[in-house]
Amino acid sequence: MDGSASHSGFIPGASADDGAARRLAAHRRARRRATALVILTQIALLAAFLAFWEYMTAFDRQAAFMFGSPSAIAGFLATMAMDGSLWRDTYVTGVETLLGFLVGNVIGTLIGLSLWYSRFVSRVIEPFVIALGSIPIIALAPIIIIWFGTGLTSKIAMSTLSVVIVALVTSYKGAVGVDGDQINLMRTLGASKFQIFRKLVVPASLTDIFAGLKLTVGFALIGAIVGEFMSSSEGLGHAIFKAGSLYIIPKVFAALVATIALALVLTFIVGKVEKLLMPWRRLG
Amino acid sequence: MNAVDTPAIAGGAATPAPAGTPPLIVEHVAKSYDADGRIVPVIGDLSLTLDEGEIVAIVGPSGCGKTTLLNTLCGLIAADSGRIRWHGKPIAGQPSGVGYMLQKDLLLPWRTALRNVMLGLEIRGVSLSDAEERSHVVLDKLGLHGFAEHYPTTLSGGMRQRVALARTLVNDPDVLLLDEPFAALDFQTKLLIESDTAKLVRESRRSVLLITHDIEEAVSIADRVIVLSKRPTRVKTVYAIDLGTERTDMIAARESPGFTDYVRRIWADLDVTRQ
Repeated sequence: MDGSASHSGFIPGASADDGAARRLAAHRRARRRATALVILTQIALLAAFLAFWEYMTAFDRQAAFMFGSPSAIAGFLATMAMDGSLWRDTYVTGVETLLGFLVGNVIGTLIGLSLWYSRFVSRVIEPFVIALGSIPIIALAPIIIIWFGTGLTSKIAMSTLSVVIVALVTSYKGAVGVDGDQINLMRTLGASKFQIFRKLVVPASLTDIFAGLKLTVGFALIGAIVGEFMSSSEGLGHAIFKAGSLYIIPKVFAALVATIALALVLTFIVGKVEKLLMPWRRLG
Repeated sequence: MNAVDTPAIAGGAATPAPAGTPPLIVEHVAKSYDADGRIVPVIGDLSLTLDEGEIVAIVGPSGCGKTTLLNTLCGLIAADSGRIRWHGKPIAGQPSGVGYMLQKDLLLPWRTALRNVMLGLEIRGVSLSDAEERSHVVLDKLGLHGFAEHYPTTLSGGMRQRVALARTLVNDPDVLLLDEPFAALDFQTKLLIESDTAKLVRESRRSVLLITHDIEEAVSIADRVIVLSKRPTRVKTVYAIDLGTERTDMIAARESPGFTDYVRRIWADLDVTRQ
């Protein structure tokens, strides 16, 4: 954590000497090498898995039908990319996921943080939150379709519902987890409750909020896809469902690959935003 | 709790009290906690006075309620009985002109050193440029010139505690309440920060109430050392420290002839017995 802990004496304007700079550079090189090795191993593992899959299905028509094969999946991906359905479906599911993710997290985080204000209110609603959180979202899907129709709105609603309780709980945990001594310090500095909230509780909760954001990317995607399973005319969930019911297994996997790619891109964006909003986390 | 109807003064320097009024008078304060329906007395009939420009150290056996006392003085918790007077006025809410510093530096990790120091001024609504300027001055005084834009995670323990000290001093408090602020630091860093603190406090005639378990620290820095009893805590003995040296040099203080004698007597007074 604290790289500078070893020299606790305070030397103003001290700079690293040449030897230290050399050691630092060597250390950086070693770290880069270690990272490269991890990535190479990951690629090798994936390649070995795909080769095994391809080999096992190459001479066995039944296995090829049941499990598809990497080459068939690649073929379907190429076809879907060519006819534009891949982009269209990914775009639709992406929009649903993103909107559900945003709406769910904004609502959940706002409620979760503001619950810090009143111990009374948070105690009153606690059992209701737990009850709502324990409902499997898929069980709500039929009602959501009835309420919001078969279009985009119902998918966003599903996605939002998958996200909102998690966002509420993680942000509330962050808010109530703020160090009591830190609150006391703010009070001795003369801070009002709102100032404590604004200047301490909200920024201190960011770590937990972002942990929630990373978690809910996947939940938002599940919500959108489950919504598409129930009733839809486009989207990756629709493509998976349709290909599955027609027994076109490689096409199911092709749509799954697109789904995974979408999840990775969204997670990557959340990570970037986190680094942007919390620059102090990179240090130390 | 007494004097509920006196409005709390929000921040700023304390209103001037008549000359000669000690900044802090504690009279017969008692405080108990309710632990599962059993009443545990923590402070029992404690009285003390802090004079202007005086450094008073409070030492006591572990768990004697030193921190409870400090929180009571800060207005963070209310005493059961007794009177606390800041500048002659009964305590109501958070006393103004009082700085508070703990062993934990409590720096906000998302703020740079400068912005951490500015926190109190910001809360009081001081303009940004004014707050920045005043914070820079205090950071420079504490030898942190050039570290203003550093985040706390990139600073050493000693530097972090200096930033915490700057955050306390920038509000220009006339009384500092310190709860073992140097306890987590290594010996050399501790001596340096103690010396700097003593210098800054004495040149501006601020008063300090320092809670510590380090008897040597207490004797080297304080004008008076108050020894507390075991729970329920009261004042057991008060030592006026006269080392005959410059009181801003911790090394000179520790080397002065009377030093070890005070330490030995206070140690004996603490009555530390093996468990």
